[in-house]
Amino acid sequence: MTPAASVRPSVALPLAYVCTAVVTFVLAAAAVPWLSTELAGHYYQPHILALAHTVTLGWITVTIMGASFQLIPIMLERALWSERLAWWQLAFMVTGVTGMVGHFFLGAWSGLVWSAALVALGVGLHLLNVARTVRGVGRWTFTARMIALALAGLGLTTLVGFALGLDKLVHVLPGDLFANLHAHVHLALLGWVLPMMLGVAARVYPMFLLSAEPAGWPGRVQLWGVALGTPATVAGLCGVRGLLVAGAFGIVAAVVSHLVWLGAMVRTRRRPALDTGLRLVLTGAAALPVAAALGLALALDLTSGPRVALAYAALVLGGWVSLTIAGMLLKIVPFLVWYRAYAPLAGRAPVPTLPELSSASGERLSWVLLTTGMAALVVALWIGEAVWIRVAGSVVAAGAITLGATLASVLRHLVRRPAPAADAVAARRPA
Amino acid sequence: MTPRPPGLETLRRVDVDVREDIRAGREPFARIMAAVKALGPGEALVLRAPFEPHPLYAVLGAQGFARWTERLAADDWRVWFHRPAAEPDTETSSTLDVRGLPPPEPMVRVLERLDRLAPGGTLTVLHARRPMFLYPQLDDQGFTHVTDEPEPGLVRIVIRRAPEP
Repeated sequence: MTPAASVRPSVALPLAYVCTAVVTFVLAAAAVPWLSTELAGHYYQPHILALAHTVTLGWITVTIMGASFQLIPIMLERALWSERLAWWQLAFMVTGVTGMVGHFFLGAWSGLVWSAALVALGVGLHLLNVARTVRGVGRWTFTARMIALALAGLGLTTLVGFALGLDKLVHVLPGDLFANLHAHVHLALLGWVLPMMLGVAARVYPMFLLSAEPAGWPGRVQLWGVALGTPATVAGLCGVRGLLVAGAFGIVAAVVSHLVWLGAMVRTRRRPALDTGLRLVLTGAAALPVAAALGLALALDLTSGPRVALAYAALVLGGWVSLTIAGMLLKIVPFLVWYRAYAPLAGRAPVPTLPELSSASGERLSWVLLTTGMAALVVALWIGEAVWIRVAGSVVAAGAITLGATLASVLRHLVRRPAPAADAVAARRPA
Repeated sequence: MTPRPPGLETLRRVDVDVREDIRAGREPFARIMAAVKALGPGEALVLRAPFEPHPLYAVLGAQGFARWTERLAADDWRVWFHRPAAEPDTETSSTLDVRGLPPPEPMVRVLERLDRLAPGGTLTVLHARRPMFLYPQLDDQGFTHVTDEPEPGLVRIVIRRAPEP
């Protein structure tokens, strides 16, 4: 029996990341109807690339980074190595992503490379911080291994992305532009986002669902499926065609195993009613098998073309990842706010429950708008009609704004919390 | 079914039946909490639900409510929520199992119990994981604590309040 290491998890740091990311999500969603004409065409256009990086870097990556700073102390049971470094990282990420999106939009490649360098610096700081945090971790659990895989994927994605930008100025990359582009996209998706989400799900979903922690063969299949499937898929996209199908099957096996775990967690949960956060997570998970099947069909050349590719991207980034992240935020943000505003009062004065911090109707409305909007957007992108993309994009934008407003209402508890009674505060201080 | 706690029959019943709400897909939480908020001294909330309302146990437990559950049928549960008779002001040694509670209920329960802990007393907490957000709260209040894992999935935290000088 040992004294526990009393780390003090930061509240302001993950909230700053999450707020930045949610604002970016609202802006990206609002841009969809505005870019409907371009979205009805080919995906390789400056404005679409700007939108894609707003979503992948500004929304998804910044959220994952911020959530990591809250979840790593819980999942790995150790303190973040340097909080100050994480604040610098946020500054580099915000400046870099803003620059990248702006220069993509203008098609200004020199400025893009400089901005990408800032993003690379931010990613480098993140890798350093997390690597120093997990150094010497005693138990390499499924989650710890998946996070390690994800960080390797993030580093490689950033390098390849930077090289793609540099390639616009100086020819540095061999091979076909689209092959390299597809490799970059799948490195980000399968090497960074997928292992991070699978790893976090195994540790965090049982907390929210009040179910047993998952175990057994699905974990091994997920680990090996991602560890082998991602490089094989990327190599296949770069030209080693034989590996593409094998890699795709590896990823599909990982996805199916994740869904097996998720199904078991849902079935064995002790919380019968699902709140909106969990509904968003499960709706997002429902998009995953469809996305995996579509990805497999693309790998097997059963379907192809820019319309399918855009629908596939929207299904993965908007359907699975964004809905899952939105659901997690409806759990994470109230907890952080509660911890900051009410934990010092707990036990001494009545404190609100987490559901009481948020607006149930706002959460439900964001769920309805985001799920219907994302589903409609996938179909509209596949069809390629600008008017339908505009309609579906408007629903997604309304959902994003509702989500942002709901989370903002939770944040208001930080400024209007009740003052703790003087005797309670005095009693809480050590003599 | 555990025996009916003594004194329950002396409380005035405030009945809330949420079976129809749940069957119709309506969220009954706000209705239940409104009834709880309106409960006066000497009153008990008697809830009828189509399943055992585990999440509510945590929520109302954190507010100091005790409960007594009756299973009338597989899909018909009656739960009495009432404020228990006053407990002793302090306690010297006890165990609290917070496994299966959603965040942040474990922290609320532990801090509530620590508030009643006598100087020199210990509280043993059984948890599903190391409570990384609780430790700083314990430090702030001057408690000492040690943590171990006697078996997989069980984390034991022994918290001690310093004896009076």
